[in-house]
Amino acid sequence: MNEHVLDDLEAYALGALDRADAERVAQHLVVCASCRSHAASLAEVVGTLPDTVTPRDPRPALRDRILAAARTETRGSTPASSRRWSFGAVRPSRIAFAGLFASVIVLGAADIDAYQRTTAITAQRDQLYGLIESMRQGGREWYMAGKDSFAGAGGTLYDPRADGKQPFVLFHDLPPIAAGKVLTVWLVSPDSTWARAATFQPNGQDVQAVRINMEVSGFDRCAVTLEDSSWGPRYGAVVMESRIAPPTTAP
Amino acid sequence: MPEQQPPDDALLASLAARDLGALATLYDRYGRLAYSLAYRILGESEAAEDVVQDAFLSAWRGAGSYRRDRGNPRAWLLSIVHHRAVDILRRKTTFRPAPLEMAESQPSDDDTALAAEKNVEHRTVREALEALPQAQRQTIELAYFGGYTHVELSELMGVPLGTVKGRMRIGLQKMRRALERTR
Repeated sequence: MNEHVLDDLEAYALGALDRADAERVAQHLVVCASCRSHAASLAEVVGTLPDTVTPRDPRPALRDRILAAARTETRGSTPASSRRWSFGAVRPSRIAFAGLFASVIVLGAADIDAYQRTTAITAQRDQLYGLIESMRQGGREWYMAGKDSFAGAGGTLYDPRADGKQPFVLFHDLPPIAAGKVLTVWLVSPDSTWARAATFQPNGQDVQAVRINMEVSGFDRCAVTLEDSSWGPRYGAVVMESRIAPPTTAP
Repeated sequence: MPEQQPPDDALLASLAARDLGALATLYDRYGRLAYSLAYRILGESEAAEDVVQDAFLSAWRGAGSYRRDRGNPRAWLLSIVHHRAVDILRRKTTFRPAPLEMAESQPSDDDTALAAEKNVEHRTVREALEALPQAQRQTIELAYFGGYTHVELSELMGVPLGTVKGRMRIGLQKMRRALERTR
């Protein structure tokens, strides 16, 4: 990693390297002050390019949307004696790891002996670590803020976009629900078709991971509803939702 | 006497301390520019808004890990916007506009010229970019706004990879000199 990367620094500054090359350059910059200085100088020039763009106003609601999402995260991070993690103060990848690791412990500990449990947890941890790493390398995430009786709760849909890696939702601060009820995660297509992606019940933990058994691409919204049944169409009220990636259908 | 606005560095420090007011101020300061950049790259208002939301929430969550030696707060925030928008663009390559047409259409955008010239700094940057020979300007615009990698640009423009790198290098050098002359 000691070979200088001067030949690639312009493309790096412009974001014109593929992921592998960008990672190689980034790693070199960590250890090379000379290249880092040159990269910073180029970044300063490239950083002026947005000034050449046509100024456009987003819809005023965007500001409220951003502040509401941030406010909800902050509320979710309010210290409480029963909480083991402070959601807003930790990077999402750490939360994801912690939450998934916790769920592995909860799900896997019941009926195996200590040695098997340790082995299983280690294997799961390694697998989940790979998942988190894939998130760092280009996965996407969308935050759903809880509303009404779910205010203060929320969930982040993670799409690792790596081969063999399933999307999942990492919920925090889910309140208990009535007996017989279930929470359902839906993916909604542009033609308003609601596809059931997962059904679960809150496990009482501060953080809960729920795997999604379908691809996220092609849907433009995700939502969570409170349902009476774990199958069938949607009837229940939406308790949290978010717009997600635009559909990737052909033009 | 007008109220003095906090500098960007102070805003990020407040963000790290979970100050929602600082996030609102940061948005008021750069939300429009961030959206304009995302829209320029993606050409869709909803997708651009999603990118801006992602970027500001990333800043909200990551302000504590911000390091000044990686760029000023404005550049840091806009780099998040750029990175996310290009990432989306690369995932849906079928939606990319015809590359040369896109690069050539930009200077004829009357709104761009009128609005940007209200701001001297913006005008200076724009003039520095427009002063470049067409091949250099096109290479820089297609890379930055079009999301093309230098290898893709080599194929697209039918020139060796070394030529693409050279155009980027010389173009950015000229822009830097032009910007330094005006400071």
